[in-house]
Amino acid sequence: MRGGTFAALAALAVILDATVASEITILGARPDLLVLVIVYGSLLMGGRAAIAGAFIMGIFADSQMPEYLGLNTLALTVVAYATAGVWDHLVKTNVMVQCAVILVATLLRDFIYYLIYYRNHMDMFFDFLLRHGIIGAAYTAAFGVLVYAVARLRGWRVIAGGNQW
Amino acid sequence: MLSQLARLFRGNRELSTFAICVALSFTLMALPPSAKDALAHVLGTPLRPFKNLKTKGDELVGVRDENYTLRRLAARLMDEKRALIEYKHENNRLRELMAFLVSFPEEEHLALLPAKVIGMPGVRTIETIEIDRGSLDGVAAGRAVLVPEGLVGKVVRVQADRAQVEPLASASSAVSVTIERSRVRGVVKARYGGPGGLLSWEIDYVPARSDVLLGDLVVTSGLGGVFPPGLTVGTVQSLEEGPLTMRVRLDLAVDFSTVEQVFVVTGTRASLPGRSEAEERLLRELERTPEAEQGTEPGAPPGTPPDAEAEPPLEETPVNEETE
Repeated sequence: MRGGTFAALAALAVILDATVASEITILGARPDLLVLVIVYGSLLMGGRAAIAGAFIMGIFADSQMPEYLGLNTLALTVVAYATAGVWDHLVKTNVMVQCAVILVATLLRDFIYYLIYYRNHMDMFFDFLLRHGIIGAAYTAAFGVLVYAVARLRGWRVIAGGNQW
Repeated sequence: MLSQLARLFRGNRELSTFAICVALSFTLMALPPSAKDALAHVLGTPLRPFKNLKTKGDELVGVRDENYTLRRLAARLMDEKRALIEYKHENNRLRELMAFLVSFPEEEHLALLPAKVIGMPGVRTIETIEIDRGSLDGVAAGRAVLVPEGLVGKVVRVQADRAQVEPLASASSAVSVTIERSRVRGVVKARYGGPGGLLSWEIDYVPARSDVLLGDLVVTSGLGGVFPPGLTVGTVQSLEEGPLTMRVRLDLAVDFSTVEQVFVVTGTRASLPGRSEAEERLLRELERTPEAEQGTEPGAPPGTPPDAEAEPPLEETPVNEETE
């Protein structure tokens, strides 16, 4: 059940990221729906499934920019591995913690992706991180509140409190 | 070393998955561009319908926005078009009036005050024409009111900023006229129940067997001192011989229902200062009209030699209106 839901959400995130994510920007920053799914995937499914899912999502995301094929897969895989390891040490059902994890995970993804993307223009890399990376991370983290609210309404206890989904 | 690493991965499935994924990622990055393109093409296939859908949606939204913008633009252009048509008509009307003002017979030396019609109160006929000039502009009761086509009527009531004109169309109006060709005189009066209308106009007091023909031009005689002589009133429409007098029906020259701009005769030009610089400039401009450029004087029939209808130079000497 969880695997199917995770796969469906991952597919939806890839589709939305490729189509409408650019329409909902704030100050030029767009939410990172892939990271959002990976963070909650690692919370619900564990590290292995999250890493595999991150790789698959990453390769589909990379298909939009063939020149950098493999870059999204690398960044998302690292994010999945890192968040899966972090959840064991945190209070998973706390909304602030979830938002903080999303924020750091988004920044980590941006850091890896744009570090390689701007490898020959480090000034632009830092400029991008300051101008768009932080805002984008905060924007994505705000979605954590939304997910938490939905989880509370639907009684998904793994996210909103309790032991069962 | 390698065995330790292998043991580490075997004991930690998460780490091994991660390592495999990272290795695959670097492999993907290391692929030649053609292979990357081919792989991306295959991987992008499932996403393509959604992207096409998004593109079509964007196009639809764009078309809707464009449609809205174009509708607003069309409405604005229609509004501007209506305004321009109105300005064009006003411009033509003012040009005609100005040409009339300038080409008015100099020997009559009339001082004409332009005025705008602001109302036509009346029940079933045009009883009164209200104009936007009043005593502050020099308008006084009894003054004649004209348009280029001919006589409109006379001022009957004056307020500070407006005045009421009794038109010839009014049932109570009576004007002393003369047949221009034969100089036969009479008085134009309105009659109820004319052919094809509520009112008709007849010339009274025309003796029987007078020299009047259908289509003869009827002008003001100047008798009575209200209307200057020579102003067009209309043309003879029908004739009926009687034992003592002729019944002469008249077709008025002015269609009162369409009058928008008029001139009030406020006095003689002799009582006014000479032409201003602006008036002289306007005169020169009117003289440069296409008619003038074709070799005819403004107002003269086509083909008339330039000097055939030329008026004598303007003399600022007063002429008595009561000469007739």
